[in-house]
Amino acid sequence: MDPYEIEFIGENRISSIIPNFTYDKIYLICGEFGPFRAGLPLNVPLWLAIMLKQKQKCRIVPPEWMDIDVLQNIKEEEKRSRFFTKMPNEHYMVEAKLILGVAAEDVPNAAEIKTIIKDIWDIRMSKLRTSMDALMKSGGSYGRLDHLTMMEINSVKPLLPSAMDELYKIKMMTKRAPTAANLNNSTFSQSGSSQNT
Amino acid sequence: MFAEKVIELLKEAERNQDTIDPFNDEKIRQILEEMQTLFKMNMNDANATSENKSLWTTVQVRHSALERNKRCLLAYLYSRMEKIKTLRWEFGSVLPPDVRELLSDDEYEWFSKYSTNLASYMRSLGQDIGYSGIDLTENLRPPKALYMEVVCAADYGKLELSDGDVVMLRKNSRHFLPAAECQTLVRQGVLKQIL
Amino acid sequence: MDEISDIVVSDEEEEITADVVLKTLQTAWQNERLAPEILPHNNDMVECMLGQIQHMERNINKLPKTDLRASIHKMELSRIKFIICNYLRTRLNKIEKYCIHIMNDEKQRIETGTNYLTLAEFKYTQEYIANMEGHLKKVVLDKMPGNMKSLEMNKMAVYPNLLTHIFLKANTSINGVVLEDLVADQDEEIDLEEGSQHILQYKPIADLVKNGKVQLV
Repeated sequence: MDPYEIEFIGENRISSIIPNFTYDKIYLICGEFGPFRAGLPLNVPLWLAIMLKQKQKCRIVPPEWMDIDVLQNIKEEEKRSRFFTKMPNEHYMVEAKLILGVAAEDVPNAAEIKTIIKDIWDIRMSKLRTSMDALMKSGGSYGRLDHLTMMEINSVKPLLPSAMDELYKIKMMTKRAPTAANLNNSTFSQSGSSQNT
Repeated sequence: MFAEKVIELLKEAERNQDTIDPFNDEKIRQILEEMQTLFKMNMNDANATSENKSLWTTVQVRHSALERNKRCLLAYLYSRMEKIKTLRWEFGSVLPPDVRELLSDDEYEWFSKYSTNLASYMRSLGQDIGYSGIDLTENLRPPKALYMEVVCAADYGKLELSDGDVVMLRKNSRHFLPAAECQTLVRQGVLKQIL
Repeated sequence: MDEISDIVVSDEEEEITADVVLKTLQTAWQNERLAPEILPHNNDMVECMLGQIQHMERNINKLPKTDLRASIHKMELSRIKFIICNYLRTRLNKIEKYCIHIMNDEKQRIETGTNYLTLAEFKYTQEYIANMEGHLKKVVLDKMPGNMKSLEMNKMAVYPNLLTHIFLKANTSINGVVLEDLVADQDEEIDLEEGSQHILQYKPIADLVKNGKVQLV
């Protein structure tokens, strides 16, 4: 899948906005949202939040985790742990990219927050490279990857799965090699058919 | 050497992976001729193998060359069909003349059949519930905005939008159009998105 | 506009709401995108959603063009159309690529009533194969000498690589998934805890994708 599609999936997450207009409930196929009351927060899908923000119809309420202290803790924990720690949610990177992209003024300390999220991403990516290396060295046929988000998993495609596929093929070939060698001298005796017509 | 021409043919097709070359019917004719010759030679020699064992190997080699020619010709046609298919998704059922002339008549016929088959599949979607079908060549990318700003790269003429509005697309004119309705023209290079 | 009922009645008496249909479709789309082979179709869900779209489109047309609600609904519809188009297109790509193999398997599945293709997809595959066969014959095979003319379709078949490695997330806990180790001739058993994620070969978990116990990611 391409990153746009991962972003598309992430855009279904529910986020909170404060509209500057008043409207009744809206009945979407993915659910009911509203009523919209100017100045009062409510939940809508992220794509709708972004759309309204672009039309200057709302402020976006940053998700709880988009906060320097919370993120600093996550970063420390990520550094300390050998494993991947659990992220605030499955699509933290998409959420960060979109909200900080169109609504940076709605997020206190947006610039610092961007930097910390980038740091966390970098730590996780370098961990991911190390664990891919370890996985391949251990024979590379199975691995457990808890707490990796979709965007992170997607970043190692197609490299990791195809490396594992290749390794498997090589292993199967080495296993078959001794039998294959015996066939060497008989390749020419395989029958064709044009000589019989 | 046997089966040499067919390799030239495949290399030619390999060279430009993203574009389609004119159909090389002259070379294909030569390859088919080579096959006829090889086949005749084998027919003659096969009857003689009972007396002359040394001919057996010769017959085998020619047979392999025949098989190879066949396999490679099929591969050539197959890879061209793959490319012709993408033309349907890019340009729709009507090909621009300069693209059309790269295909042989038989290939064009195949294109038309492919196109018709695809169109009737798309029309059938949702038929049971009275829906008028879906154009699967649209909505290629996840939607980001309903409208996009575009500039015309060519004189296109009138474009009628689904809400009944008609816009005149002239070279270098700028428009703010529903994203879903101008994707095809963007793909064809008539419109360029302004970012 | 606001009277749209989001209750959809399926052919059984159970009622599914539109948002559940949408979620099901989204999962089906994601799995289809990530699985090497073609998966069982979800035609009921697709048709149901098309019905919803049609209903919604009629209602949007009653709203003034500049109405904010109209653009919100339009945006949602274009998101849903993207999923449906991409889902069906992904299936067509697989159908074209693996047509001979899919057709062979599908004929057997039809006998047991476990078909993977919709009727329209089946017709499309048949026609696609016939066109390809016709073209190959007309352009080169018919001009070949003697028995070289024959076309062995099965020799031309392309197969999906079911042994490719994929990422998955377990929707429920599943015990005793057997990973065949053909290299060491020794099978290994693993348990998939609910919510856990793994990378492994597709083949041993293919059925779990089809029955919804795992989700490809």
